[in-house]
Amino acid sequence: MGPLVPNEVIGANWNFLIAFVIGIGFGFVLEQAGFSSSRKLAGMFYGYDTVVLKVFFTGAITAMLGLLFFSLFGWINLNLVYVNPTYLWSAIIGGVIMGVGFIAGGFCPGTSICAAAIGKIDAMIFIGGIFLGVFIFGEGFPLWEKLYYAMDLGAPKLNQVLGISGGFFAFLVIIAAAIMFWVGEWAEKKFPREEY
Amino acid sequence: MRARNITVGIMLLLGLVIAMVPENTTKPYKLTADQLLRAVNTGTHMIHPDYLAEWLINKDPSIQLVDVRSPDDFEKYHLPNAINIPLADILNPDYQVIWDQGVKFNVLYSNGSTDSNEAWMILRQLGYQNLGVLMGGLNYWTEVIMNPEEPPVTSPNDEIAKYEFRKGASQALGGGAATTKTATTDTEIKKPKIVPRKAKKAPQGGC
Repeated sequence: MGPLVPNEVIGANWNFLIAFVIGIGFGFVLEQAGFSSSRKLAGMFYGYDTVVLKVFFTGAITAMLGLLFFSLFGWINLNLVYVNPTYLWSAIIGGVIMGVGFIAGGFCPGTSICAAAIGKIDAMIFIGGIFLGVFIFGEGFPLWEKLYYAMDLGAPKLNQVLGISGGFFAFLVIIAAAIMFWVGEWAEKKFPREEY
Repeated sequence: MRARNITVGIMLLLGLVIAMVPENTTKPYKLTADQLLRAVNTGTHMIHPDYLAEWLINKDPSIQLVDVRSPDDFEKYHLPNAINIPLADILNPDYQVIWDQGVKFNVLYSNGSTDSNEAWMILRQLGYQNLGVLMGGLNYWTEVIMNPEEPPVTSPNDEIAKYEFRKGASQALGGGAATTKTATTDTEIKKPKIVPRKAKKAPQGGC
């Protein structure tokens, strides 16, 4: 049956409406988890608050299990689900830039929009920074075009690279998440902060 | 605290389940049996050799001929510009780009029409469109286009015109077995005149 749009169960125009609803849901969850506070996000780095890790990993695991079970029941064809192509150097360099921005600014792109929506001025400035970065990237694209497309790996899935089944890999991810949650809570006790 | 532990427990349990079950690698059929039966009954996927000959002579770029016979047979003889995808290989991921597109119309053919029809049914059920089958396969093609039989002189004009077209098509497409006594007169004509098929007249008179 699924995915709905590629299988023409619903029209492609529905994409926008669905994205709109999901976007609102995503923003709601971010705000509800307290991610509109840059201190909370920076806490992930310093170890006094690991709720970011927990929320995102829980979300990822839920989606992962959902997709695998849907595939098992024949409700979705995972081969038709779009997977972002991996350009290794882009991923590494982009990851580093994003990580630095994350710690320095205290937001990731999504949470900055969320925080700006509730009127946080630092978030608005952060968004300004995002647009500045987008502008520089776009205007200077010819300069780093080669680097951007370097080491095109296609769209591999981790379990395929490791040569194990998707289900088993999912199980390993869940175990890893449980361990990370446990370590995170240990860190919260180890590096507590009274108020943030 | 308790709720969280329960959640983690459930996640681990579900993960264990999904790790145990075999991966679902089946390609789900997108057409129900009803839909496919309807498609089979209407028979609109059947391409008559006359139509195909017309397309080939006009070098219609939207037509892709797919030979589902073995590579050996393909080597011996195949229709102009056909590609070879043996029946056993139609699900090979390499060929997916050929099926999964909305630009070209794939005409499948084999010697008869059994193999090509089987390929058509599988591909159609997988949801691929733009698929047709050469009616009667190469056998019928040879009979109708490559070696057309001259109709008796008393035949209706339609029949004669059809024969003339087939004779021309045979020459243009390298058949060359059109009856020789008339072929001599128009050997220089490479491209046969296409006789537009008239729309069937509604039955007149009678009840």
